[in-house]
Amino acid sequence: MTIVRKIGALAAASAIFLMASSAVYAADKLNAAFFLEWATPNQIAKVEKTYDKALGVPVTWTDFKTGVAMTEAMLSGDIDISYSQGLAPFVTAIQQGAPLKMVGIAVVYEANDCFVKNGLGIDASNASELEGKTVAVPLNTMADYAFRRYMTTLQVDISKLKIVDQAPADGAQSLADGLVQMACIFGGSSSKAAREVGTPIMNKQQKIRAGIGSFDVISVTEKFATENPELVRAFLEVTEEANQAWTASDVQVAKVAADAGMKLDTTKAQMADFIFPTAKEQLEQYFGKGGLAASAAASLGMVFSGDSDGSKIAKTIDGSFLK
Amino acid sequence: MVDWFSDNRGLVAALMIFSLVVLFMWALFVGWRDTVLTSKNQVFGDPQRTSGGWYWTICGASTLMLVWFYFSWGIGRAYMPSAANDMCQVAKLDEALSPIKAALPGGARYYKSTLLVARNTAQLNSIQKELLSSAFSQAEQKLLNELIEKIRSLMVISSNPKNLSVETIEKIDKLVLKLDAVSAELLSGTQGLTPTAIALAQPKWGTTHVEIPIAPITPLGILFDKGSVLASKAASLFQTIKNHAPASKVVIEELKSDITVLKNANEIGEFNGGIKAQRVAYVKSLERIFRRLDDGTIFPANSLEGINAAIARLDGAREIAQGNFQLMQALFFPGPGVVKSRTQCSEQGSARWLPKPTDVIATFLKLANPDINSGGGYKGVPLLWWEWKPIAGFVGFFVPNWIADFWPGDYARHRVDGSIELNLKDKILQFATGKIHLGSVPALHGHLWDSVFRVLVAMILGVVLGVPLGLFMGVSRFFKSFFDPLIEIYRPVPPLAWAPLILTIFGITDDGKVFLLFMVAFAIMVISARTGASGTQLSKIRASHSLGASDRQIMWNVIFPNALPEILTGIRIAIGVCWGTLVAAEILAGTTGVGFIENIARTVSDYELIWVTILIMGILGLLFDVFMRLLIKRTIPWRGQG
Repeated sequence: MTIVRKIGALAAASAIFLMASSAVYAADKLNAAFFLEWATPNQIAKVEKTYDKALGVPVTWTDFKTGVAMTEAMLSGDIDISYSQGLAPFVTAIQQGAPLKMVGIAVVYEANDCFVKNGLGIDASNASELEGKTVAVPLNTMADYAFRRYMTTLQVDISKLKIVDQAPADGAQSLADGLVQMACIFGGSSSKAAREVGTPIMNKQQKIRAGIGSFDVISVTEKFATENPELVRAFLEVTEEANQAWTASDVQVAKVAADAGMKLDTTKAQMADFIFPTAKEQLEQYFGKGGLAASAAASLGMVFSGDSDGSKIAKTIDGSFLK
Repeated sequence: MVDWFSDNRGLVAALMIFSLVVLFMWALFVGWRDTVLTSKNQVFGDPQRTSGGWYWTICGASTLMLVWFYFSWGIGRAYMPSAANDMCQVAKLDEALSPIKAALPGGARYYKSTLLVARNTAQLNSIQKELLSSAFSQAEQKLLNELIEKIRSLMVISSNPKNLSVETIEKIDKLVLKLDAVSAELLSGTQGLTPTAIALAQPKWGTTHVEIPIAPITPLGILFDKGSVLASKAASLFQTIKNHAPASKVVIEELKSDITVLKNANEIGEFNGGIKAQRVAYVKSLERIFRRLDDGTIFPANSLEGINAAIARLDGAREIAQGNFQLMQALFFPGPGVVKSRTQCSEQGSARWLPKPTDVIATFLKLANPDINSGGGYKGVPLLWWEWKPIAGFVGFFVPNWIADFWPGDYARHRVDGSIELNLKDKILQFATGKIHLGSVPALHGHLWDSVFRVLVAMILGVVLGVPLGLFMGVSRFFKSFFDPLIEIYRPVPPLAWAPLILTIFGITDDGKVFLLFMVAFAIMVISARTGASGTQLSKIRASHSLGASDRQIMWNVIFPNALPEILTGIRIAIGVCWGTLVAAEILAGTTGVGFIENIARTVSDYELIWVTILIMGILGLLFDVFMRLLIKRTIPWRGQG
């Protein structure tokens, strides 16, 4: 056998191997991602194994610190469904060509707050005094998006602020220490700590009037959605049922708090601001033609990357699993 | 110029790869010749044997570059610039067919129906086992058992090919025809296919945000693109095929009414809370399985054989149509190829996270461009540039502001007419806060400088404080015993363990980051200086003492030179570890720095930028090390010669 033929045979063998390895195999389990410190009713279904029973396959849950890490885990194939991934990491992933899909809305909540240090006398009415001050922002997160929307609404020149990239816990600490004059925060415990020493730059009414809100999505890998549509559907169904069974009773809150790793009162306070839209509401308001999901994703894409094409992100939004 | 290079990356890469191969062969040849020449007259283990050998350096570096080129698909792109576009078209076909393939043994080992039957049966079995006699009455239990059997019978009905409806059979036949049409299309050859002008005008592979141009630009690509259009029509037909067997209609109606009866019983009945919840949950779990079967997703296995065979034929046609291209793919594009997502085609495998060398250079040039307004730098700060810095700023940094407070008198106040006249006290305050003009000096700034500055300051502090302490610990009983517990307790603590404290102690400015790096450098310097000092040969110290040397002379002329090799090695190690800690230090409160760039690039999965920062840190570390080697050669030429 000549060397050329040997190489040819080797290449052919590796080609066959590659094709074999790209074959699809039906899932015998589902790997889901979630956030700690982000209390949602479906955590009851998670703890009580309702998901496992309804899907007929074991569901393993892994907690993540950021939505970006969720994307990375989904790209490497370790996670199939991310529950409550931020819209920001989802959109940036899509912009990088990640094969992901938005199949549902997990939580609708007030935009993350930016807390101004108490005693500075700065609020929405004189926000331009922030110029020249230092601000802690976890860059490229939903809190970053909210921060940019606030500054635009309040006509503050972002280029005149000194922006420091800090995780929420660090940002709250820096705000307390007076190292930064404003800190943009997400997460229950960190928000609580920041609220001790600061005041949100815009209150609830102001945020609603300015149309600044956020929502977290349920995202799946395209591969998983194609191969196991019935599991995705069942997952959304159980989530929907858990949301509907939510009465915010003490027993329920205690269960969720234990799973989310938070204290009872923090959990209650956090969930008071959460809205869990029903499948019907999601289909009507978010996934319809010109729905909120597509328009919010497009505007968010514009914030983080100027050359974003909104119509492209819309293609990855798929409400069909909710029906 | 830069734009031209950017647009013609393939050509640049092709030339680079060619020169690398030539360089590699030449270095290999020179090295081999040299080894043959010198092998006879050198002793194994002689340190002299490691001197020289620049050709092996070239050989190693070019191997590294070639491996990088290969695994990042750089070689593939250089010599087959349209390959990714073709692979994208094939991926389009795969994407279109994936819903069908996922349901067939051809793509997924088992029929989806087989898996569903297995899963539903297992679920039904476990539900039947869980049937609670406490929650349901005897009659209800009987009804529930019947209900479970009926659900089972639904699966039996769906699995029997005799029960297939005419409509379903027709649809399956139609699908087979459609799939065969796709095969025929693929086998029809590429004659007469020409890409559209729009497709040809797309940006080239890898030059823009969208990695791979999506519209087909070669005849082969057009063929597969056309195939994928047909295939996605076939896939939508497949989605509509449901097995609603006429025979199951009666059972379904019965089941529906049974479930309604049970639900009503749950609604009306007076149960205590726990029992009621159990009953509701139980009925719901049954209903869930029933609804899944009601969807008509289970087919008789042999009814889908036609589709499975058509898919196999299609796979065959896919192979034939690709021809040699498939071999090229396996050879030059390691990994699972290109995957088409909803919005774009993207490289998979190593090419996903390993950018091509030419792309990294392009990203680096963009980052290094000092003109912020034309898109250079990162987050409004250049990589490395200089600017005029006011001297007053430095003065303001060193002169404390309270000096002005201690000056007698009051600060100026505005007068009735609104004018303000500054007195001496105000001027002192301005001086102390750096708000006066004292002229400007050029100073470096930018991400790179900030990182280097942090490492250098930490290193200098570490050496200046650590080396004397280490030397004294090596020679003095007091120093050794006094500082030993302190140093030994803090030394094993990994630098990152300090991170949570840094923020609250030092704040968000540079001093916290410098302190973290200093902690790393200091421990290493103390230990190495101490080892060097205590390792001095006693005979040398005694000899100098008997020759009348003073303590100071012994320290300066005997112990220090003896410790120098250890100290310099310590510096080399410390700089390496400092670079390693830098990324973590710059996470704390990121404003500038190479580590900061990497942290932010990670949040948008910008692998090119991530690799640029990794390489910058690697190359800077290498430069430091080369400098240290020169320094070692200069200052302690006797090392290794004793």
